[in-house]
Amino acid sequence: MEQNNVQRLPAEQLFQKEIDALIAAEKDPVPTGWRMSPRSVRTYICGGTAGKTKITPKYIGQERLVEIAIATLVTDRALLLIGEPGTAKSWLSEHLCAAINGDSTKVVQGTAGTTEEQIRYSWNYAMLIAQGPSPAAMLKTPVMTAMETGTIARVEEISRCASEVQDALISVLSEKRISVPELGMEVPARKGFSVIATANTRDKGVNEMSAALKRRFNIVVLPTPADLEAEMEIVRTRVEQQAGNLDLNAAIPDQEVVEKVCTIFRELRNGETLDRSQKVKSASGVLSTAEAISLLCNSMALAGSFGSGAVTDYDLAAGLQGAVVKEEEKDVLAWKEYLENVMKKRGSRWLGLYEACRELNR
Amino acid sequence: MSKEPFFYGIRHLSPAGAFYLREFLEERRPKLVLVEGPCDLGDELVHMQNPKARPPMAVLAYTMAVPVRTILYPFAVYSPEYQAVLWCGENKVPCRFMDLPTEVFLALPREAEAPEGEEDRLDVYRALDARTGEDGHETFWERTMEQAGTAQGYHAGANLFGENLRELTRERERDWAEIQLREAWMRRQIRTAVEEGVAPDDMVVVTGSYHVEGLKNWSQPPSREEEEALKALPRTEASHTLMPYSDYRLSSRSGYGAGNRAPAYYALVWEAFLRGQPMGTAYSYLSRIAAYLRESGTPVSSAGVIEAVRLALELARMRGGKIPALRDLRDAAVTCLGEGSLAAVSLAVADTEIGTGIGSLPEGMSRTSIQEDFYRQMRELKLEKYRDVSAQDLSLDLREKRSAASEKSAFLDLNRSFFLHRLRVLGVSFAQTQARCQDNATWAEQWVLRWTPEAEIELVESALKGDTILQACGVQMKEQAREAENMAGIAQVIEDAFFCGMAAAAVYATEELARRAVDTVSLEELARTAEKLSVVIRYGSIRRVDAAPLLPILDRIYYRACLLLPGACVCDDAASGSVSATLQQLNSVALAHDTLDQESLVSALWQVAGRDDLNTKLSGFAAAVLMERGLMGTEQLKLEVRRRLSPGTPADLGAGWFEGLAMKNRYALIARLSLWESLDNYLETLDDEEFKRALVFLRRAFADFTARERDEIAENLGELWNLNGQQVSEAVNVALDTQEAGMVENLEDFDFDF
Repeated sequence: MEQNNVQRLPAEQLFQKEIDALIAAEKDPVPTGWRMSPRSVRTYICGGTAGKTKITPKYIGQERLVEIAIATLVTDRALLLIGEPGTAKSWLSEHLCAAINGDSTKVVQGTAGTTEEQIRYSWNYAMLIAQGPSPAAMLKTPVMTAMETGTIARVEEISRCASEVQDALISVLSEKRISVPELGMEVPARKGFSVIATANTRDKGVNEMSAALKRRFNIVVLPTPADLEAEMEIVRTRVEQQAGNLDLNAAIPDQEVVEKVCTIFRELRNGETLDRSQKVKSASGVLSTAEAISLLCNSMALAGSFGSGAVTDYDLAAGLQGAVVKEEEKDVLAWKEYLENVMKKRGSRWLGLYEACRELNR
Repeated sequence: MSKEPFFYGIRHLSPAGAFYLREFLEERRPKLVLVEGPCDLGDELVHMQNPKARPPMAVLAYTMAVPVRTILYPFAVYSPEYQAVLWCGENKVPCRFMDLPTEVFLALPREAEAPEGEEDRLDVYRALDARTGEDGHETFWERTMEQAGTAQGYHAGANLFGENLRELTRERERDWAEIQLREAWMRRQIRTAVEEGVAPDDMVVVTGSYHVEGLKNWSQPPSREEEEALKALPRTEASHTLMPYSDYRLSSRSGYGAGNRAPAYYALVWEAFLRGQPMGTAYSYLSRIAAYLRESGTPVSSAGVIEAVRLALELARMRGGKIPALRDLRDAAVTCLGEGSLAAVSLAVADTEIGTGIGSLPEGMSRTSIQEDFYRQMRELKLEKYRDVSAQDLSLDLREKRSAASEKSAFLDLNRSFFLHRLRVLGVSFAQTQARCQDNATWAEQWVLRWTPEAEIELVESALKGDTILQACGVQMKEQAREAENMAGIAQVIEDAFFCGMAAAAVYATEELARRAVDTVSLEELARTAEKLSVVIRYGSIRRVDAAPLLPILDRIYYRACLLLPGACVCDDAASGSVSATLQQLNSVALAHDTLDQESLVSALWQVAGRDDLNTKLSGFAAAVLMERGLMGTEQLKLEVRRRLSPGTPADLGAGWFEGLAMKNRYALIARLSLWESLDNYLETLDDEEFKRALVFLRRAFADFTARERDEIAENLGELWNLNGQQVSEAVNVALDTQEAGMVENLEDFDFDF
């Protein structure tokens, strides 16, 4: 497959150069099964330099949380990242795998339909019936492959899986081996094997994780960005990266646009204005940082395809409307109130956006 | 340069420093140890060395003159200074403090609290924080110094740190001049010791690493200005005492400068040092957290603790350490034991890091006389078990226990009450009264006792007022009486004097009160004072206080209040509430004391009840009081009702009067059919607009009648209207429907101004 045509490259390919530079500049001891030392992993995630190469920060936020996550994986404990939607859980998990193993593709996506076989192993049934059980007829799951190779498997949205699937993971994590009775063999995990799971705090109650499973994980809670500056930084970096990937024919939105979007998102998320002087109704949606990023990319696509190439207030307004208004009645009210009570009074800098939003809301 | 004392630079409250310093002293065996600390506190050294004295402890120095200024030198078991002092005690080596004496420290001018000049030092720390990328220089210090691993490493590191900090902030610190002075003084102390014949190399100087550079040139004779400055040092009379201290106060979280964030954690570090297992801190810290969580009902497995230890170790490694620092341990606890949230383990973390430890000193050790008095009384009154950091309840029965053998035990609770009240008056936060239920207000008291180092400090501070608690309390009350802004303030002092069982103070305050009563024109204040005095006089006997001297003054205040009463009744409805409360107070005072001239109040009441130019609500209320006293008979009431509710009387006046009347003796009112007849007739005469106005007042008047009372009124009305009582009752008691509620709402907006 030609790389350029892939819609989304895995992290280890996107940041190949940085990873190579870090490996080349390695000075600290490297744990078994890892490609670089824990400190280099931290540099890869949080930014810095390796030799002469500048390493871009991938996760902008508390560096300490990243340290805890990496240290957890060194101790061969499984890592569970939880947080609100859009707090970069999967993003962090992907990059951790990319840096540690150079392979972030061993993923099990947790859904209501995920079965135990997707954690352990399943069979190529045609071959199973034709030849009987044999190693060749066995289909290895990402988890099993990770065990065999001593690498890290990712399980996304673990709280969406049914409890028997979660239980299957318990035995993998505590025994560190999968037995295959059909073949009379066992697959032991090599050193370096671990699991990074992610779970959503908004999904609580869908399938509550059992205490037994939680005990097998070290849990790191990823917070929403602490302040406006941090969030703008995240949004700006990610929009630049994505825009490059998607070949959008539009200019990167300038600082002011990013600031406006982040301000609106933060205010509607927290239920008060940034200076805490005024309460606003919060919207029913999550309004995560990730949504802000996709909103800006959308606006760029609009501007690139139908507009002048520069993101206008009109392009933004369409995106905002879609992002904020999720449940018709309630959100429309909250949004209108916000427009009239907050945005309208912000002065001329916001006037264009206000007009455009009001136009759509008529 | 051949013979130099050894300068041991330390950081205050540093376990590693304390441990290595002790090791060093053991090896070097000096003949004299000089410790940074006010040189006039030398007499406390012996007390600190007493094996029964248990840290944390602190030396408190205070000025003898008001306003009291204090400085505090806290010591934990892992304070290097404390360990140096202990070592000297154990090895019979002389030991001296060498800093400026406290009488100078307390006299040095202190700028207002704004620490602007501190900025520079803070800047350095901030730069340090940014460089290490960690949460603060505490962690930096812990990783580089506390975990240095060797005595040499610690020593060299501490000196270098102090030297650099000194270079970076030189001459820019706010108290640079003071630092210069202190170092000049300390150099002089070293020279003095040498002159006394101690060889310099037989001497060890224990000082903050910051000062090491400043002391090294000790042998140079001082410059002229320096001599002058040392001579010109201000002095003030000061005293000092050793006192127990607590972990909580040590933790800087409670806002006391000299301390550290996690005293209990550093105690664990110290214990690990003593056992020779530096990793031990991690085990004990995390096991303690786990134990605390289990005790509070959160299941924590040993496997979880093991994982936490491994994670902490790994976090330390990422920072290049071999032993987890506090930060690593806490993050590990949050991640492995708290499922990622600090909130889940915050109590356990606070308990393990800050702790509840409290030091203790053997009895009689360097205490002020007031402290001695305190402890003697605590013993005599059998209150010693309450001297504890956790709050305990104490209920007192002030009555004489007739079965008791001696008078002392018969009045034990009463004496306890006196003692606790005296402490309360002195502002020693040892005992707090709890609200009492009205039934046993006079002879029962509920206290909550909790002993804190703060209370000890407050106690020491009250030493200024007297040598015993009784004496200090007397002085305090006199001051309060003199400085009171109004009569009620003095009355409060009188009440306190009665609670404290101090008749002399009561008399003094009474005289003060008598002097002021003449000028007072506020009825409310007079009545409140009268009531306070009345309480003291009535219940003085239970506290065995002779209240006789108070009677004449009560008489005067009461009489003045009666004279002022009719005049005060010219007021609007808003003010009538407080006047009626005052009237009620006066009435109950009069009823409680036969000796008071009843006639003066009664005639005032008749005036208020009869005059038409006063607030009608108050007139009504006065009539109610007269009725209660049995002075207004049925006939008179009937007449008055008819007069007040006669046709043509404006609705707000008529109904307002009724409202006042209904504030008392409801049963008597309900029983009088004629009253309801008059009211009914009166309402009949009103036109629609007037009726609405009357309704507002009546609604208010009946608002706090109980359902039962309303039932009875309904019965009366039913009789008048020839209706079944039941039907009327239902109509009266049923909750309003929305339409009616709306109408009532409209009434609220009714314009009363025309």
